[in-house]
Amino acid sequence: MTLIDVAIKDIRLHARDARFLATLLLFSASLVLILSVAFGPIFQEPAREAAATLWAALFFAGVLGLTRSLDLEGESGGGDAVRLAGADPYSIFLGKTLANFLLLAAVFTLTLPIASVFFDVGDLPTLPTLVGVAALALLGYAAWGTLFAALARGLKARELLLSVLLFPSLVPLWIGAVKCTNALWAGGSIEPVRDWIKVMAVADVLGLALAAFLYELIQEASE
Amino acid sequence: MILRASEVQKRFESRWVLRGASLALDRGEFVLLQGPNGSGKTTFARILATLLAPDRGSVEIEGAMPEKNRRAARRAIGFASHQPLLYPGLTPLENLSFFGRLAGVPAAESRAAGLLDRFLLTPFARTPMEHFSRGMFQRVALTRALLPEPRLLILDEPYAGLDDEGAATLNQLLGEAKGKGAATLLIAHERERAGALVTRTAVLRDGVVEAS
Repeated sequence: MTLIDVAIKDIRLHARDARFLATLLLFSASLVLILSVAFGPIFQEPAREAAATLWAALFFAGVLGLTRSLDLEGESGGGDAVRLAGADPYSIFLGKTLANFLLLAAVFTLTLPIASVFFDVGDLPTLPTLVGVAALALLGYAAWGTLFAALARGLKARELLLSVLLFPSLVPLWIGAVKCTNALWAGGSIEPVRDWIKVMAVADVLGLALAAFLYELIQEASE
Repeated sequence: MILRASEVQKRFESRWVLRGASLALDRGEFVLLQGPNGSGKTTFARILATLLAPDRGSVEIEGAMPEKNRRAARRAIGFASHQPLLYPGLTPLENLSFFGRLAGVPAAESRAAGLLDRFLLTPFARTPMEHFSRGMFQRVALTRALLPEPRLLILDEPYAGLDDEGAATLNQLLGEAKGKGAATLLIAHERERAGALVTRTAVLRDGVVEAS
């Protein structure tokens, strides 16, 4: 199955690149640490500050991850060989999105406890809801990121273009994620900001649906 | 005709690389395409392999425009180029199994293992390719191109980096493919290495294919 084959291939490549993984994880952990020192030691609004820090760390780590994912396709022509194999482009997109989602989820899994400890926020009862919020935000990030990474492929300023394109499209996802995380850590419920869940879900669906129409076009036009 | 390129033109910025290149290949034909450095051979190969779109002119694979059914056209083609078109972080077997499954090759892994064996790569089949030599990369790259038993082979400098033993194995495999009716477009500077397989030679000069 193309989707699973592509996802396994990407995860395998990421998992074997210890230098990349170390950079990614150290970067996000360091960012959380630095911002917790900057905001602390007495936090004004720990839930808000911790939520902003967590999602800022995930955004920047995600750009690193997507750029690496982009490089994997270009460095020895692997991306061209995938196109030549004649597989369904949308399945390829979904496979890459799944791999990027799992990579971001791994960064989230590491960064969350660090943010919780340094900002002294969060508890076990709110964890499942927070994981759900993160899944929504990271799925959208992976979908839009994979789509734009395909667009930036082959360009000299691809990292810059990727960040420039990603930032506006991720605004609704990131506002939603920060607001929901803040509400959870401050009040134990996302009820006051539940509309943001709908906004995030729409952003996810939009990213996945848009790719169904555009991914092949972008792939072919990026040459 | 398995491949027909008509008046293909391609420009990079203001420079016209191809100025109306035409070429046709029938089943079982083995055409050697030669030309001086910078004559546009690689660009022409990428256009024929459907990886690059021409600015003008047309390409037909098995009588159909690739744009109409890109997946079917690509599944008819085996392509090897200067770039290995592989993932160096994977082992040869992982690479070939992955591309084989993507291309819908039945029993991709066992066929890949058989081809790797022909190229004497079995001891390295499960070793990540990052530290492979140029010649080893080339052997795996050629195996990838041959794996789906394509009806059209487009090979851009396939002998580059190969020792005599590797070149002989490649010629054997190309001979077998030719015997099954596959058409081959071979882009190479030296005619001798392809030996008796070549049925026709063409030259790409100033962006135009000249029959020789």
